[in-house]
Amino acid sequence: MTTNLNMPRQKASSFRIGRNKLFTFLSQPYNIILIVLGVLCTITTVAPIIAILEDTFKIHPGTIDQYLTGKTEGFSLANYTDLFTSPLAKTNLWTPLGNTLIISFFACVAAILFGGLFAFLVTRTNMKCKKYLSSIFIFPYIMPQWTLALVWRNLFNSNAVTGTSDGLLASLFGIHMPLWWCQGIFPCIMVLGMHYSAFAYILIGGIFRNMDANLEEAATILNTPKWRIVTRITLPMVKPAILSTVLLVFGSSMGSYPVPHYLKLSTLSTKYLEMNDKYAGEASILAVIMMVIGVLIMVLNQRSLKSRKNYTTVTGKSGQISKINLGKVGKWVIAIILIIATFMTSIYPLISFAFETFLPNPGDYSFLRTWDPSNLTAKWWLTSENVTENGLYGQMGMLYNKTIWSAYGGTIFLSIMCALFAGTLGTLIGYAVSKKRRNRFANYVNNIAFLPYLMPSVAVGIAFFILLATNEKISLYNTYTLLIIVGTVKYIPFASRASLNSMLQLSGEIEESAIIQNVPWFKRMFRIIIPIQKSSILSGFLLPFITCMRELSLFMLLCVQGFIMSTTMDYFDEMGLAAFSSGMNLILIVTILIFNGIINKVTGASLDKGIGG
Amino acid sequence: MKKLLSFALACLMILSCVALAACGKKEAKLSATQEIIKQAQSMTLEELAKKAIEESNGKTFYGVGNSSRGKSALPLFIEYLQSIDSSYTMEFEWQQPKNNKIFDQLTADSKKATGTFAMTLIQDGNQIESKMVQTGVLDTFIPKDWADANGVKADEYEGYLALQTLNKVFMFNSTGSKTYTNVWDFVAEGEHGLYMDIDSELVGKNFLYMLTKDEYAKGLKEAYDALPAAKKSYIDTAVAAVESDAKDFGLGENGKYALAWIKLWVESYNAQTDDGPICNTLVDKSATDQFGLLVYSKLRSVTESESVSKNNVKVAAYEDGYTGFGGYGYCHYLFVTDNSPLPWTACAFIAYMTCTVDGFSAWGKDIGGYSSNPTVAAGTEEKYHHSTSGNKEDGTYPVLNDRGFSWWKDRLIIEDPEYCASVAFTVGSWIELLTKYKG
Repeated sequence: MTTNLNMPRQKASSFRIGRNKLFTFLSQPYNIILIVLGVLCTITTVAPIIAILEDTFKIHPGTIDQYLTGKTEGFSLANYTDLFTSPLAKTNLWTPLGNTLIISFFACVAAILFGGLFAFLVTRTNMKCKKYLSSIFIFPYIMPQWTLALVWRNLFNSNAVTGTSDGLLASLFGIHMPLWWCQGIFPCIMVLGMHYSAFAYILIGGIFRNMDANLEEAATILNTPKWRIVTRITLPMVKPAILSTVLLVFGSSMGSYPVPHYLKLSTLSTKYLEMNDKYAGEASILAVIMMVIGVLIMVLNQRSLKSRKNYTTVTGKSGQISKINLGKVGKWVIAIILIIATFMTSIYPLISFAFETFLPNPGDYSFLRTWDPSNLTAKWWLTSENVTENGLYGQMGMLYNKTIWSAYGGTIFLSIMCALFAGTLGTLIGYAVSKKRRNRFANYVNNIAFLPYLMPSVAVGIAFFILLATNEKISLYNTYTLLIIVGTVKYIPFASRASLNSMLQLSGEIEESAIIQNVPWFKRMFRIIIPIQKSSILSGFLLPFITCMRELSLFMLLCVQGFIMSTTMDYFDEMGLAAFSSGMNLILIVTILIFNGIINKVTGASLDKGIGG
Repeated sequence: MKKLLSFALACLMILSCVALAACGKKEAKLSATQEIIKQAQSMTLEELAKKAIEESNGKTFYGVGNSSRGKSALPLFIEYLQSIDSSYTMEFEWQQPKNNKIFDQLTADSKKATGTFAMTLIQDGNQIESKMVQTGVLDTFIPKDWADANGVKADEYEGYLALQTLNKVFMFNSTGSKTYTNVWDFVAEGEHGLYMDIDSELVGKNFLYMLTKDEYAKGLKEAYDALPAAKKSYIDTAVAAVESDAKDFGLGENGKYALAWIKLWVESYNAQTDDGPICNTLVDKSATDQFGLLVYSKLRSVTESESVSKNNVKVAAYEDGYTGFGGYGYCHYLFVTDNSPLPWTACAFIAYMTCTVDGFSAWGKDIGGYSSNPTVAAGTEEKYHHSTSGNKEDGTYPVLNDRGFSWWKDRLIIEDPEYCASVAFTVGSWIELLTKYKG
C-alpha cells in the first residue's frame, strides 16, 4: 500500500529530475548551439545527398532511361546498369574517373611540394624578402581557379600544335610546346598544384609557425646535422598536417570543373555536364561517385586527425625557434628564385590580364611585334554604345556594362552574406564543439559540418540544384537565397575549423571566471572570447568571403550568366570575349586585395595567416 | 446482296470508328493556355497587344531563353505596347541559363499550377521534342500574321514556330594556297577543323544526326561522286567500315556515306569551347590553311590589325565550284509555357518578334540570322543591307556579304526536331562510341 502511495511521488520526482536535467542541459548555450546546428547541418548536408541519390533512380523524359525502359516516369536501375555495363562505360565513367583521381592525387603532390617547401623556407629559414613572398604567394589562391589555366593556355598554345591561335611564346618567339604540355593531365596537375600550393602554404605554414621548437633545439645541442633534424624531427611533426592538406586539396581538385574544361581533360565534373542532357540520371551517378570519394576522404581525414594525437604541435612555445641558415648567398639566391617563380604565377597573370584588355582581338599580339600603338585599343573598357561590329558582340565596354557591374554587386553581396552566415555558424560550431570535445554528438556535428568541404564543389552544386532549383515545391533557381544557402553550407568548415582550433587553444578558466561573475553568455562571447581570438575567428570570415568571390564550380548550375562575376566571366570567356574575362578578373583580384588589406590593417587577420590562425 | 450488305456494314463500322476517333480528338481537353492560344491564333498583332495590355499592365514578365537578345527585344515590345496605351508599364526579367539547364528549369517550372516563365526562346529541336513537347511542358503558338506571310493557316500548321534560322558555315583561312572545294575535303586525311564540341553544344550533334536523313545523305553521296579518284580511297575505307552500322540503323541507301562523313568528322575535328575563339583563330594570318565550322555572324566582331583581318577568311560555300553542303542551320524556337502566368502577353510578344522588323531587330541587325517570316526577312534586309554589308568605311570585306536564307537554305543541313529525336539513341549512341580527336 505504501509502495502504491509512493509511486506517483516517485514518478513526479523522476519527472522533476528529468526536467531539471533538461533545464540544466539547455541552460548551457553550447548545448543549444550543438542541437540546433547539428539538426541544421544534418538537413543541409543529407537532404541534397538524398535528392541526388533519388535522381539516379528516376526516369527522365527524353533521356537514355526513358529509351531503355520505355517509360516516361517512375524509377529504374537502368541508369546504373547502362553506366557501368554499356559500351560507353569506358568513355563515360572509367576514363573520367581515372583522370579525376590522377589529377587530384598529383595536384596534391605538386601543392605539397610547392606550398610545403615554400612554407618551410618562409618559417624555418633565414631567407630574405619573406614578407613580400608570403603575401605574393597566395595570389593564385585568391584568383579564380581557371585563371592560371587561361594563362597557361595563352602562354603555351600554338597553331602548329594545338591548332588554335598562337599563344605568346609561339607568337613572339616561335616556341611550340608539345601537346602533352599544352593540354590534358600535365597542365591540369600543374595549374591545380599551383593554385592549391597557396592553400598548402597557409595550412602547413600555420603548423610550422606554431610548432614547438624544443625537439629541434635539443637535436641541435646534440650536434645533429641539419638535414637529419629536418628529416627525422621536423617532417614527422608536420606529417599529420601534410596529410590533412593532401586530403583537403584532393577533395578540392576533384571537384574542379573549369581547369580540366579549359585544358581539355575529361574528368567526372566535365563529364557530368556533357552527359546531363541525354544521360541525366547517369550524370547524377557521377556526382554520387564524387560524393562517395568525398566521404572516404573524410574517413581518412578522421584517421589522420586521430593519429595527430601522437604529435602535439601547439604547446607552451619555446622561446626561440631554430632557423636554418641558408648562408649569405643562399638566402638571397633562394629568395630571387622564388621572386621569379612567384612573378610567373602571381604577377604575370595580372599583367597578362591587363594587357589582354587592350588587344584589338583576343590573342592578337600585333603590338608586341610592331610596337605600333594603333594595334592597341581601349574599346573593351570605353565603348559606351551597343554596337555589334566592334568585336564586342553587342556588349558595351566594361566601364559601361551593366551586366558586369550588376554581377559585381551580386558577387559582393553574396560573398558578404556567405561570409557572415558561414563565419557566424562556423564560429558557433567551433565554440560548442570545443566545449564538449569528448562528446560523441559534438564530434558528429563537427564532422557533418565539415563534410560539404570534402565534397567536390560541382557535386554539391548538382545536389542543391536537384533539391532546391528543380523542385516543384521550392524553386530557388537564380536567387541569392539559393546561392547563400549553398555557399554557407560549403564554407562553414572554413570558419568551424578556424574557430575550433583557436577555441582549443583557449583555457576554459577564462570563461569559467566570467561565469562565476554571472556574466551572461553573449557578453562572455563578445567581451572575452571573440576579442582574444579575433584574428583566427576573422580568418574564418575572410576565407569564405574570398573563396566565394571567385567561386565558379559551386554556383555555375544554380544561376544564370550575369548573376555573379564568376559565371559572367566564364560566359564572356567562352564566347570569345577574353578581354572582358581578363578585365573582370583584374577587378575581382583588386577587390579581394583591398578587402584583405583593410581587414588586415583593422584587425590583424589576413589570409596568409590562414586556417587555425 | 449479303456481301454487299456486309461490305456496307464494314464501311459503316470503319467510318464510325474514324468519326469516334475524330470526336475523341476534338474532345481532348485543352489547357487554359491552349484555349487562349486557340483564340490568339486568329488575332492580329494589334488585337493581341490590347489583350496583353489588359493582362500585364504593371506586372513582371519572366522569359527564359538560349539567346541573350530576348533581353533587348523586350524593351522594344514594351515601347510598342506603350504606343497603343501610353500608361502601360511592365517590368521584365530575361534569364539565359547555361549548360543545358533551360530544360531542367522549364520542367521544374511546369510542375507549378502557375509557372514563373511566360514563354521561352529555345534551341535544340531534339530535346524540345522529347523533353518539352511530348511532355506537354510547352505549347506552340502560331501568330496569324506570321501564318499569312508564310501562306499557311495558323490552326492547321504543324511544327514549331521558329523565330529565326541561324547558320554555321565552313570557313577557311585563305592566307595560304589551300582551297576546299568539296564537303568531303573537310574530313580528308590530316584535316582538323575547328568546331564547338558536340557535347558542349547539342545543335552540333543534331547536325550530325540530320546528315543521315535520306535527302542529306543523298547530297553527301553526290559530293562523293564528284571527288577525284585519288581522294576517294581514304573515304572508301571509312564507308566500308560503317556499312553494316548503316544497315543496322535502317538508314537509306546512302546512309553509309552519312555515317562515314560523321565518323571522319568526329574523329578529326579539334574541339573548342565556343565559336568566338574559333573565329579569333581563323582570322589571324598565323592560321594559314586552317578551317572551322562556326556561326557566320561571328565575323562581324573582328577588328582589323597587323595580323588579323576579315579578309583572311573565306566562306567555303561562296567559292566557285564548291560541291556539297556549306554548313548547317538550326532554329531558335518560340513557345508559350503551358502554365504561363501571362499567356496573352507571351503570345503578343511572340507575334511582335516574328511579325515586325523592329521586333526581330535584336537579332536581325546581324548577318547569319534569318527571320522565319519572309516579310520580316525582306524588311530586315531593306533596313540593314546584309547582302552588301562587306562594304565598310575602312575597306571591302566580301566575306561579310550575306547571301540570305533563300540562297543558303539549299546549302545547309537544316535541323528537323522529330527526325533528330528519332535517331538520338541509335545514330546518337553510335556517335558517342567514336573516338574523338585529341590533338
